[in-house]
Amino acid sequence: MVSAYPASLIRAGIPAILVLLLGGCGTTIDEAVVTPGALTERPATIRNEQLIGKWGVASYREEKDRKRVEAQARAQCRLPYIIAKGPSDGVMMHLADDAKLYELRIKGGSDGKTYLGPEAPPGEWQDREIISISEKEMIMRFVDPEVHGRYGTFIYVRCPG
Amino acid sequence: MTPRHSLLSRFNGLAVATRRGAGFFLAGLAVMALSGAAFGRQQAAPISMDIGDEPGRVATAEQIVEEGPFARQLVFFRSSEPAGTIVIHTNERFLYVVQGNNRALRYGIGVGREGFQWSGLVRVSRKAEWPDWTPPPEMIARQPYLPRFMAGGPGNPMGARALYLGSTVYRIHGTNQPETIGHAVSSGCFRLANGDVIDLFERIAVGAKVIIRHGASI
Repeated sequence: MVSAYPASLIRAGIPAILVLLLGGCGTTIDEAVVTPGALTERPATIRNEQLIGKWGVASYREEKDRKRVEAQARAQCRLPYIIAKGPSDGVMMHLADDAKLYELRIKGGSDGKTYLGPEAPPGEWQDREIISISEKEMIMRFVDPEVHGRYGTFIYVRCPG
Repeated sequence: MTPRHSLLSRFNGLAVATRRGAGFFLAGLAVMALSGAAFGRQQAAPISMDIGDEPGRVATAEQIVEEGPFARQLVFFRSSEPAGTIVIHTNERFLYVVQGNNRALRYGIGVGREGFQWSGLVRVSRKAEWPDWTPPPEMIARQPYLPRFMAGGPGNPMGARALYLGSTVYRIHGTNQPETIGHAVSSGCFRLANGDVIDLFERIAVGAKVIIRHGASI
């Protein structure tokens, strides 16, 4: 397992600055983001097995685009994103802007939400929030508002086979 | 140094303005798929920025190049082409819109990096506002964390507008990286600051002639 913690420390101060800069830009960043360190961990209701597999991935920023982006995600199964089981108790995925694979863990937060990220309290800056998940589709977004502002909300559609 | 730090540190001093005065222009690199290109690739450009391929940064649509040679300006331009024709001089990093009477409106552009420059004669086949972005497979290979499709919007590397060039994979489009104007950074597309591409978009109709000259000089 590759540790992501140093990168986490480096990045910790960046989002606050970027949030200030973004304030006047009229972006559509969702305001519902957690304050890192504010949450305690609760047992997660989502299991690793629900994430493992091949997914078509697409992202959107505005709700009006969601349906068509969902169809686009399905079409992206020709170039799927593969989530594999990690060597410990996690799944192998990427963090934002980092081509290396890390073992990420599903974490239940005391705010009732479920997070996916490196070994750290739930809602940490590098985490994704798992907004919804079903057998065929899951929706996630990055907790870091700057990263979320750039990438938008991710739709993962499970690929056949 | 993280990719975003790297990008910030590479701002080359171009005067870039936003009407909101935010001065914030983190950006993404718009890269187009290249397979199937029907044009010859030619010699490398003298200037090349080594910028990591990141998806779109949030930026405003109002960004323009405000000063210097890459600012939008009316210039002397001897041409027999009809008004409304786009002439791109890749080596000079300029896009001209012919106005007639030996005049043209000139925009600063970013062009294809080494090995990704081309020349030809095409027409504008389509126009789009806030176009979607599909990173090419080779970009996904380098940056596997990218979504395979990103809906158009302020965070999209394609920027605010796109003019599609014939049946090629190339476009004239916006960018959230105005600091790359005047440099060879793309995979063959031509990029303008978002405010400038919006201006161009409004002047150019579908069907307009586009001449891409590589190695030409004024």
